Amino acid sequence: MKYVVRRILALIITMIMVSFLAFAAFHIISGDPARAILGMNATEKQLAILRQEMGLDKPFLVQYINWLFGFFTGNLGVSYSYRQPVAALIMPKLKVTLLMVLISFVIIIICSLPLGLRAAQKSGGRLDWLRTTIVQLCMAVPAFFLSILVSYIFGIIFKFFTPGDFPKIEKDLAGAVRYLFFAAVCIAIPRIAMAVRMLKSTIIEEMEKDYVRTAISRGNDRAEVLKKHVLKNSLVPTITFLGQTMAEIVGGSIVVEQVFGVPGMGRFLVASISNRDYPVVEALVVILAFWVILSGTLADLINQKIDPRLKLGGRA
Amino acid sequence: MKKHKWNGYLIAGVIITTIIVLWILIGRFYTPYPPTKMSAAKLQGPSLAHLFGTDKFGRDIFSRVMQGSGTTLFIAALTIVIGAGIGTIVGAMTGYFGGIVDEVLMRLNDALTAFPSILLALVIISILGPGKYNVIIALGIVFIPSYARMMRTAFASQREVNYIISARLMGASSPRILMMHMLPNTMHVLLPALTIGFNNAVLAEASMSFLGIGVTPPDVSMGYMLSEAQGMFRSAPWYALSVGGVIALLVFGISLIGEGMQKMNKEVD
Repeated sequence: MKYVVRRILALIITMIMVSFLAFAAFHIISGDPARAILGMNATEKQLAILRQEMGLDKPFLVQYINWLFGFFTGNLGVSYSYRQPVAALIMPKLKVTLLMVLISFVIIIICSLPLGLRAAQKSGGRLDWLRTTIVQLCMAVPAFFLSILVSYIFGIIFKFFTPGDFPKIEKDLAGAVRYLFFAAVCIAIPRIAMAVRMLKSTIIEEMEKDYVRTAISRGNDRAEVLKKHVLKNSLVPTITFLGQTMAEIVGGSIVVEQVFGVPGMGRFLVASISNRDYPVVEALVVILAFWVILSGTLADLINQKIDPRLKLGGRA
Repeated sequence: MKKHKWNGYLIAGVIITTIIVLWILIGRFYTPYPPTKMSAAKLQGPSLAHLFGTDKFGRDIFSRVMQGSGTTLFIAALTIVIGAGIGTIVGAMTGYFGGIVDEVLMRLNDALTAFPSILLALVIISILGPGKYNVIIALGIVFIPSYARMMRTAFASQREVNYIISARLMGASSPRILMMHMLPNTMHVLLPALTIGFNNAVLAEASMSFLGIGVTPPDVSMGYMLSEAQGMFRSAPWYALSVGGVIALLVFGISLIGEGMQKMNKEVD
């Protein structure tokens, strides 16, 4: 219990630090938001009124606390280029990205566990080099190149979906899932390759340990030892890896969304950076950073639950 | 020290990488056709005269890729120099001396690693603006934390090792110990990490330029060409295929070197 409390406390501190860094950075670069909203023709008086309305005349720290408070109550400010509340703009895009990331995560889990296990069991065999090469090749292909190929082959030649014509999630969930599936595969493939590589080396390392040798020399079945003991002990690094995966695929989705024309968060982020729409960029950056911190903490907490030995050492 | 034996991965990796890097380096000085001029009929498929075909302006794609890849290579190399260089210095300081500096820098490190790498690069670019050198700065900063953490562990693990204690007793200065005794013993960790980092830098630069927030014309990089190629994918699919193929082959070759080095380390242990 004490571990959980400490971990959550660390989580909160990191979140505050991250949001402060982001807020400070955008505070410095965004110049005068009042002028950005009203344009170059505004008079000093209009500017002063708007600044007061937005709380920009207050000290920096007060502004930060107001902003942080607004963040958790769903008030993310007003977009410069759309003149609409940021929260209302982000919400529909958040849904799309979340759905895509979830599909991708499921694909990664379904594919990488059996493949990684097989790679470990057959390690040192005749085809070991071929497997390693395929894994390296999958990691070497850039996600967006893969996306171009997949969207061409499955979208334009086989017409499984129409690139650029994304169905609304509320109206046509099946269509949206089918559309996102192909994008999710492109995000998943390099990550699956990494997972296979990680699982293989973890399992092999575990198989070389003394207790495994003892178990096998006592006449236990190799496959049984693998299933009952080795896999259990490989669980902790696997969960840590999945936590990182959860974080990484959100970053990876930024590029893939662009190619597939998925109206998600990543595409919105890139567009907002080009438009210098700082309130939107700021909100998206902090949301993504929180997502990363949360997945890391979640992985740590699950690990601590399944392996109490970690309580003593703290970090997994 | 046992003899390092080269393995198949390392040999294959070195061969592939050398060929591609040489090809790209030659592209700095010589290309079969001028890469920015219209030198042939538009939208020709690959042929003997134009190995990768031509694009919709009649530019020779082979020449374009040859020259444009150089920008990517340059950015990735400098990124790694900045990231691994500063990362190693920070890691050495915190790992060797420890104390309050260690605490502060590592917490800052935690906060920085909370941003997905591409996101942090995007944020820095949105502050600095796009362009070749800003991409290098952004990616360099992004790469520092992971190297710092890794090198910190590598240096800290040697702090109380006998030969370091002996060196200290013999009156060697801290810089001397760090440079002459500890640094060479971190190479088995650093070198494979350099290959991984280099690949990540190539892919990151390509993603950023692809998104239109990387290099700006007149610079042309692999990502920039891919975004160009995506626009003409239906009329000239060979453009995207050749750019993507060259990126994949380069990254593949370098990751084989990394894989081979790790295997070699394991055999020596």
